[in-house]
Amino acid sequence: MSMLQYLKNTVRSRSIHVAYVNVGSCNGCDIEILACLSPRYDIEQYGIYVHNNPREADVLLITGAFSSQWEDKLKPLWDKIPHPKVAVAIGNCPISGCVFNRPETLVDPPVSKHIPIAAEIPGCPPRPTEIISTILSLAPIIFKDYEETKK
Amino acid sequence: MLSFIYYIREFLRPKWITTFFTARTPPLTTPPYFRDFPELTDKECTHCLACMMICPAPEAIIVTQHEGVWRPEITKGHCIRCGLCIEACPEDVLASGRILAYKKEEELTLQGTFHIEINQSTCMGCGNCSVACPVNREIDPALRSSGTSTSDEVIMRIDTGQNKVLHEEKCTGCKTCEDNCSNKAIRVARVVEALQGGEE
Repeated sequence: MSMLQYLKNTVRSRSIHVAYVNVGSCNGCDIEILACLSPRYDIEQYGIYVHNNPREADVLLITGAFSSQWEDKLKPLWDKIPHPKVAVAIGNCPISGCVFNRPETLVDPPVSKHIPIAAEIPGCPPRPTEIISTILSLAPIIFKDYEETKK
Repeated sequence: MLSFIYYIREFLRPKWITTFFTARTPPLTTPPYFRDFPELTDKECTHCLACMMICPAPEAIIVTQHEGVWRPEITKGHCIRCGLCIEACPEDVLASGRILAYKKEEELTLQGTFHIEINQSTCMGCGNCSVACPVNREIDPALRSSGTSTSDEVIMRIDTGQNKVLHEEKCTGCKTCEDNCSNKAIRVARVVEALQGGEE
């Protein structure tokens, strides 16, 4: 491993930028993401920063059961994120639609039909601890030695 | 001047430097009272399906048979961790957090009945629901394709071109009628009553 790669790994492990997008959630999971920022959980001590700008994001957190308005919007948003990138589905809704996935509703779960999802966090909503530990365990798999393993 | 020296000495202490750069909130552990996904206890499941009846999330819990033993299975990604299945189970097969403890303390029992609602403007009176109903078939085996019946003991029957519900309390909540209705005119709703302090 070159020195440059080592430097990149070190920096990337302490600088994970997060954007979150609500594709038709009840806001329960968004509040749990918000709770991660609070002093009780404090994601910035792990080097995770929330900018909510896809152009500088590494991790995209998706909440919600995919309402039809997002059909033509989620894929362009995913394409805007520079590589290396990863999408995490938060809560039951992006996984299965959960209680919203009933006959004659307009939701279209799972979100993995539309963009590739790397990890799913079940729960309605999941604990902030589960969200943080998922991002932290996923980041080394995706970002470590990215330039060498992408070929 | 003295204070400068004092500050420099204070900030060069190794302990202060290490705590400054490696500050961490306490380890994030899940408290034991957290209502997590229900887990199986060693009690025996009797296949009463009370958990499936009470579950508010579609496909979250299913009771399956493995090597002759019935046991409930929770699907992560569907389960919303509400804990109603634990409260509803009469045999305490499932456990999570403090639910079993307070269920025992408060002598909590859940009783469910079913309410059949028929939208009379979309019901065609075809009789599919009355014929498909397994309870109806048991009470009146002579029930035929038109859905009419001579028995007054059936849950519902076709009477003068309209579906009439006679004995709602016999419904077991299987929702076979909903599946067989071509117009989605019939709906079975669960009405649950929570009782505290044992049987009244």
